Amino acid sequence: MAGTDQLSAVFSALADPTRRAILVELAEHDATVTELTAPLPISMPAVSRHLKVLERAALISRTRSGKWRGSRLQGAPLRDAADWIDRYRRFWDSSLTRLDAHLAAVQAAERATDRMANDPKVPDNQEL
Amino acid sequence: METETLQLAISRVFDAPRELVYRAFTDPDHLAQWWGLTGNSLPREEIDFDVRPGGYQRWTEVSANEPDLRIHIYVNLTDVTDGELLEGVMHVGGQLQEGIEPFATRFRVEFHDEGEGRTRLEIRQWLPPHLAGPSEQGWLEAFTKLDATLTSAQVAADREGVVA
Repeated sequence: MAGTDQLSAVFSALADPTRRAILVELAEHDATVTELTAPLPISMPAVSRHLKVLERAALISRTRSGKWRGSRLQGAPLRDAADWIDRYRRFWDSSLTRLDAHLAAVQAAERATDRMANDPKVPDNQEL
Repeated sequence: METETLQLAISRVFDAPRELVYRAFTDPDHLAQWWGLTGNSLPREEIDFDVRPGGYQRWTEVSANEPDLRIHIYVNLTDVTDGELLEGVMHVGGQLQEGIEPFATRFRVEFHDEGEGRTRLEIRQWLPPHLAGPSEQGWLEAFTKLDATLTSAQVAADREGVVA
């Protein structure tokens, strides 16, 4: 589990639709800036700036092999972010299941008390 | 709009009247009976509530498996409508699980009548402010899809790695 600063970088990086489009593209294969720019309506320098943000969030790594400079997806930080959300969903599921049982128990107790209060003859009958 | 930032949204219907469900959230004796992961407990003497706009709710959650883990919750209530709404910022601190740092998260709980003595809870919890960047609607859907894509991509990559 990454620290909260790491998550912060991940969430700001993911908040942008262009950067998400880049990640989806990189999920298919590693790619150069030129390749990533082709399907997008923005310039290569703009794509480079987005890649820098994604790199700072550790969502991608940049690789160099001879003249080829590509970007590669790094899945782990994204999974950390999903874990954060998952943890809270599990927490609420567990708590609300207990709440459901608690509400049923409280109402059952109230009904029992009401019966006693509304029908004072019940104890007498029981004595017979 | 606030719904546009990343949040956890949960909707659930309870077979109990709205007034009682609201009490389960705002009466210390009730909250102690259900809040937290199964097995965890809330020491009654450490629960302190002042439920009103600008008020607070404070309690400690003790882990069943590791009694040393004591989670301190402090809720600043920013908006309260009796029987209908609780909204505030929940500060989570104390001795937390390893790897988890203290944080604050905004939440909103709405209590809706569902008829026939039932109540629908609408719970929203926002990511801590320093985690949640500006975002547009559909973020979470996109995120979930993306995550699924990434997981399958990762599996494919791992497989390739084994072959190579």
